[in-house]
Amino acid sequence: MPRLDRLPEANRKTLLTAPVQLNESAPFVPLAKPLATARVSIVTTAGLHRRGDKPFGPGEQTYRVIPVDTRDADVVQSHTSIGFDRTPLMRDLNITYPIDRLRELASRGVIGGLAPNGYSFMGALRDVAKVASETGPEVAARLRADGADVAVLTPT
Amino acid sequence: MLARALESAGIATTSISLVREHTEKVKPPRALFVPFPFGHAFGRPNAPELQHRVLRAALDLLSAPSGPVLSDFPDDAEPGDQPPAPRQASAIPAAAVASDAVTEVGEFLARHEQWQGKNGGRTAFGLSGLPASRFEEVVRFLQGFADGAAVADMSGRPAGVTLPAFIRWCADDLKTLAFEGHMAMHPEAGGDEIARWFWGTTAVGQLLRRVRDRLDASDDPAWKAAAFGVAR
Repeated sequence: MPRLDRLPEANRKTLLTAPVQLNESAPFVPLAKPLATARVSIVTTAGLHRRGDKPFGPGEQTYRVIPVDTRDADVVQSHTSIGFDRTPLMRDLNITYPIDRLRELASRGVIGGLAPNGYSFMGALRDVAKVASETGPEVAARLRADGADVAVLTPT
Repeated sequence: MLARALESAGIATTSISLVREHTEKVKPPRALFVPFPFGHAFGRPNAPELQHRVLRAALDLLSAPSGPVLSDFPDDAEPGDQPPAPRQASAIPAAAVASDAVTEVGEFLARHEQWQGKNGGRTAFGLSGLPASRFEEVVRFLQGFADGAAVADMSGRPAGVTLPAFIRWCADDLKTLAFEGHMAMHPEAGGDEIARWFWGTTAVGQLLRRVRDRLDASDDPAWKAAAFGVAR
């Protein structure tokens, strides 16, 4: 789950009729170095940001920066759609933003390290034209400037 | 779609997918489909071993020589252990509540302090821009709004935040105070159980239903959107 066949009819219909890009192939960049030397960042579409940052409005195609030294206690979520369960995120940021797990992998030498910033977009976007043409490429440029090799993308 | 934009700019991406049907169409470069409900992308909260297995499976896709790659997380998340999605307010009968929402929010605040004490200060509270200490006042403001007060506004509404957006964030912060406080008392309570408690038995839950009704009665789409986010 959410295996669609296990969702209530209304939710299944909403998802199946949602406008979704149809692509034939994907851009593909092989990871140029061993994972154990790669710097990893998280890019999430869960509408997370630091407390005090401007909350995301519904449908907003902007992003927020989450510096890697941000405490878990200072991250909030303004994607507050009541269509999903928010209590797991209240209990544990890592349910969608696995920053502590990445720190553990870095200390075990599985990954080379964490990039200096994570990035966050709003969830449940129907119109993504500006993300594709503008804010997505902007975050890509920032990741490169950060020295990030890998982005782990996480949903709500 | 975002993964494709990043990958096109030279960043190797790996994505967690919650809706396989969408991922099959969008074709991100590398995606791991996980069999978990919305809100549970890495399995379960405070389950680091499970979270590690999901994360490692996603990172393992980086060794694929070509793409797109869509892989399935092997666990079917302990069959029978799937937390049900929380019911919506309209599916939960509202009991008559004797207590007053202002008194009740005082109780929520006390429990919420315990929650933060137990969780290293972690809280999802903080969208309205107002401190928790002002939430009795927030409840009085929302009561006035729900009752149809002609000039229902509150000092401290941040510049640039519209009234319906502010009401939405206040409602979200109220839910957070209530939910996290409830979890401090009932650590094992799931999302659906908490929704039934909140919408079914609390004065604040009943107040938010009335706030929703006033927002929804407006012809302004921004008010209707806020109503949809407060309760449905």
